Amino acid sequence: MPGQHTTTPDAAAPEATALAAALDAAALAGRPTARLTDTTPLDVPTAYAVQRAGVDRRCARGESLIGVKMGFTSRAKMAQMGVDDVIWGLLTDAMLVEDGGVLDTGGLIHPRIEPEIAFLLGRPLSGRVTPAEAARAVAGVAVAYEVLDSRYDGFRFTLPDVIADNASAARFGVAAWHHPDRVDLRNLGLTVECDGRPVATGSSAAVLGHPLRSLTAAARLAAEADVVLEPGFVVLAGAATAAVPLPPDAYVRICAAGLGAVEVTTR
Amino acid sequence: MTDLCTPPDASTNTSVDAAAARLLAAHASGTPCAPVRDLIDDLDTAYAVQDRLTEHWLAQGRRLTGRKIGLTSPAVQRQLGVGTPDFGMLFADMAVPDGAEVPTGAVQQARAEAEVALVLEADLTHDRHTVADLLRATAFALPAIEVCGSRVRDWDIAITDTVADNASSGLYVLGTRPVPLRDLDLRLAGMVLERRGEQVSTGAGAACLGHPLTAALWLADTLVRVGRPLRAGDTVLTGALGPMVPVASGDVLEARIDGLGDVRVAFSPDDSDSDSHSHSVKEA
Repeated sequence: MPGQHTTTPDAAAPEATALAAALDAAALAGRPTARLTDTTPLDVPTAYAVQRAGVDRRCARGESLIGVKMGFTSRAKMAQMGVDDVIWGLLTDAMLVEDGGVLDTGGLIHPRIEPEIAFLLGRPLSGRVTPAEAARAVAGVAVAYEVLDSRYDGFRFTLPDVIADNASAARFGVAAWHHPDRVDLRNLGLTVECDGRPVATGSSAAVLGHPLRSLTAAARLAAEADVVLEPGFVVLAGAATAAVPLPPDAYVRICAAGLGAVEVTTR
Repeated sequence: MTDLCTPPDASTNTSVDAAAARLLAAHASGTPCAPVRDLIDDLDTAYAVQDRLTEHWLAQGRRLTGRKIGLTSPAVQRQLGVGTPDFGMLFADMAVPDGAEVPTGAVQQARAEAEVALVLEADLTHDRHTVADLLRATAFALPAIEVCGSRVRDWDIAITDTVADNASSGLYVLGTRPVPLRDLDLRLAGMVLERRGEQVSTGAGAACLGHPLTAALWLADTLVRVGRPLRAGDTVLTGALGPMVPVASGDVLEARIDGLGDVRVAFSPDDSDSDSHSHSVKEA
């Protein structure tokens, strides 16, 4: 179960470090690698240790942790992966693409993009929180996108593989923040347009029925990982549609009802 | 097999008759039939079959209450290898009140989808309509569930099959709180369809040809061309906002469309034979 991990299993550390190094190398080279589980038995706690070790490598290079992304937040995806809980990945500042900015796909392996709702935290959040407590911690909501780029061949992986690979996190972008009281997040339409043509359409309801549920899940995972979601952190709640391939030389816009749009141009 | 419109030529007429007869037999028996694409070559002939059925049903006293638009998603169009939507007829006896329970077998091989319904207060009889014409002619919008069905065995349909088969229509359920279009952003209206509380389909207005009003405009112009224009009072089911889902006995489906509210339909639990083929509603 994704929920039962801890971040500092010292015994697993050397192995986790080595596995993280392999994934990190794949990401830096922009070349896919074999699934870890093809050669190494991996349980979920160890997979999270690999994920953390990978992010530690990024932080050692000067990146800083600025948020988390939630994965497997749709029933369909959970069923497909044979899991019944969400997973998460960690977001660093180097992954953030400015709204309206340029994203170089050249360094990525096989990027896909998906529309999301993002939360900006105004207060620390961790543990078993009620929806009301989660809502109170939110300083802003925005339409966002996430670019996924599995470091594995063919975007194919088992649950521990994808957790170790930081839940395929690669890049993300966020539109202007809106006051959370002004938007009912339950059933907002979202679209992804590529060069002006719609390529994906969905509803925020696809995120666990309500994106706020994803935030309470993030708080729970944070507590289990013994970390606190800090004020200023961004939480990407999960995809509103299936991910679509992100081509180079494209102008991509993600719209959500009442939240405006976030744009990115790819090279 | 029934009363005729004016036939273009004898051989086409024969095949139109044969296709219409096959579909009517499937309606009457409740047993799906083989596809009709072996009998009809093109879309015009397929619509001629649909028209033959419409005339038959009107002669039986069924009341035309509107139209449904189908094939409004790029994915479905690709699947059928077409670049346009299609349409079918809605009759009064196909309308189910919000929240009602219907016999599972009332629609053959039932599948459901959530849609935006428009109810008109003016005729749309121009050769070409603008969005202004459409906005002015629309009294209000409602959330809707369309229960589609196919008289063709295993939904083995080509474009000509579904068009001939009244665009695979079945029943439709309208919500009860009218909302004026001025209060709606239909393009980005989120949609969620739940089966007994479990999410089975999600989407938004943009999934319907980019905007449900785009689909309605296509319909208005097309219907003028074929000589059966939209009239005041007509209901237009504009097309699915998300993937269509199969329906089984005992299901309760609820659709919520942001800004439009919700609408619900239940399917009666039946005995061991849950296959919908066996108890189809007979045409009057």
